[in-house]
Amino acid sequence: MTRRSDRIFKVISVIISLIVVILCLFPLLWMTLAGFKPEREVMAVPLKLLPSEWTLQSFDKLFNDKNNDYFQALKATLYVASLSSILVLIVNSMAAYAFARLEFTFKKLLWRIIILTMYIPGMTILISSFVLVSQMGILDTYTVLIVPGLASAYEIFFFRQFFLNMPMALEESALIDGASRFRIYLTIFLPNAKSPLVIIGIGAFLRYWNSFVWPVMTISDKSKYQVMQIIRSFRNAYSSKFGVVMAASTIAAIIPITLFLFFQKYIIRGIVLSGIK
Amino acid sequence: MGSKGAKKTTRNRLPTSKADHITAYLMILPAFAILAVFVLYPLYMAVTKSFTNWSFYGETQFVGFENYRQVIRNAYFQKSLVNSLKFVLILVPSQIFLAFLFAHAVKKLTGGFGTFVKVSIYVPTVIAGVVASVIFIFILDYRAGLVNQMLKVFGLPRMAYANNPLLATIAVCLVVIWLGFGYNTLVFYAGLLNIPKEYYEAAQVDGANAFEQLIKITLPSLKNIFVLVSINLVTGSLQLYDIPYMLTGGGPAQTTQTPMIYLLNNFRDMSKNMGLTLSGAILMMIIIGLCSSVVFRIISSEKSMDA
Repeated sequence: MTRRSDRIFKVISVIISLIVVILCLFPLLWMTLAGFKPEREVMAVPLKLLPSEWTLQSFDKLFNDKNNDYFQALKATLYVASLSSILVLIVNSMAAYAFARLEFTFKKLLWRIIILTMYIPGMTILISSFVLVSQMGILDTYTVLIVPGLASAYEIFFFRQFFLNMPMALEESALIDGASRFRIYLTIFLPNAKSPLVIIGIGAFLRYWNSFVWPVMTISDKSKYQVMQIIRSFRNAYSSKFGVVMAASTIAAIIPITLFLFFQKYIIRGIVLSGIK
Repeated sequence: MGSKGAKKTTRNRLPTSKADHITAYLMILPAFAILAVFVLYPLYMAVTKSFTNWSFYGETQFVGFENYRQVIRNAYFQKSLVNSLKFVLILVPSQIFLAFLFAHAVKKLTGGFGTFVKVSIYVPTVIAGVVASVIFIFILDYRAGLVNQMLKVFGLPRMAYANNPLLATIAVCLVVIWLGFGYNTLVFYAGLLNIPKEYYEAAQVDGANAFEQLIKITLPSLKNIFVLVSINLVTGSLQLYDIPYMLTGGGPAQTTQTPMIYLLNNFRDMSKNMGLTLSGAILMMIIIGLCSSVVFRIISSEKSMDA
């Protein structure tokens, strides 16, 4: 009897799952379709489900219209997000190694201070951070976009957990061979930390790629505009031309989605493993 | 965090030589410097300036708790707090309910289809709040949006979320839920996987029905997950910005204006006293901390009742 109810439950699960998947993906599909529709069909009444002809009109406007800086913003954001994710990995994994594997004076105190920063909400320090960077004179630079978000207590913690569990034998034999601690971190710990590197790296890329408030506050130089800033400005500039806005959004969404799909195994396993704690 | 216990159980540390102390400091220096300059110092600045009448113009004077008194009495700030409470009360239970429920369905799925579902529901999670908002602005457009055209086909009245406080709130919540659903579901799914099958088998032998199994096994076993997800959701809901800003701009009539929208609007208004805005920001930190600890207490105590 439980067998049968089990099967019924499984069938129901499959049906519900399909509905949920459609609800999750349909908005993205609708956005993409709108990007390929001729402008008059994007907001057509009655509805046009599929474009009568697939056209690159909106994308063309996005990249070739002299009045908008979309392509430049795409390049600037790609630059900021890729460079930042590499720096995030270096900065946080290095600190994590020291906390996981080395003994030093004031270690406990320094660790407490780092953990303390986890409890400070972003919105509380947003305005004073802006005041600080404007006093430092780094508004409108790549530095202001990249540096303030590089270190994160959560990410140090994540790496540390992983490093704590690495076997000591690895380190021991390298030490006997005369390797320095930094060398051990570089040549033994990092190459063996593929999964946290992927998880944190992708997370950092998304954080920078999707960031909105901070660029809006700190960047007014159009050559350094970030993608989300541009999309916001499009909302007003092309308020009657949703095709262009949807084309811009499609490209802004495709990059993180591709990255995620490429590394989905690591990311989903990462959630499944870290959720257990 | 429990470093004492961790030290004893994972004695995975070789003795560190004198020279390596310096290595250690150099290795933590970049992270520590960035956190000190861009997190701790701004906090210090926010706290100290919140007791002054600091602005872009004029002398700065110490004013004690005056800013706090004013911001608490400010009708717009109060309204934004009420809105926040409204978002917390809608978003936290609904997201937990949906994710918890769907995690059970995901657990039943096997093989390629299971992976397909897990990957698909996670896709919206990587989308920016701004992009998600723009998509839903398009879908919910009054004249030609998908939803309103469908409603018209079924002979129902169209919805103008921009002019209706209730619909505006629902629209904001819809986008937040769409963005967060996949992650929350997978966290619950991970929790469910971790409950030993034997618990349920034993309960079935004892004749416990599905509801009893839920109350006696599933919920207590997932206590930590509930704490984790709830605190995440509470702090996230209290700091909503991108989505209401893009979707409704805080309107209509400030009904979706969140504290962060209020504070940033205040901040952009150069004539306003910045100390006042900063005291609002500090108050939010206190409120977020209090709410998190309340959530933590509620869920922890529920477990002790069962245990």
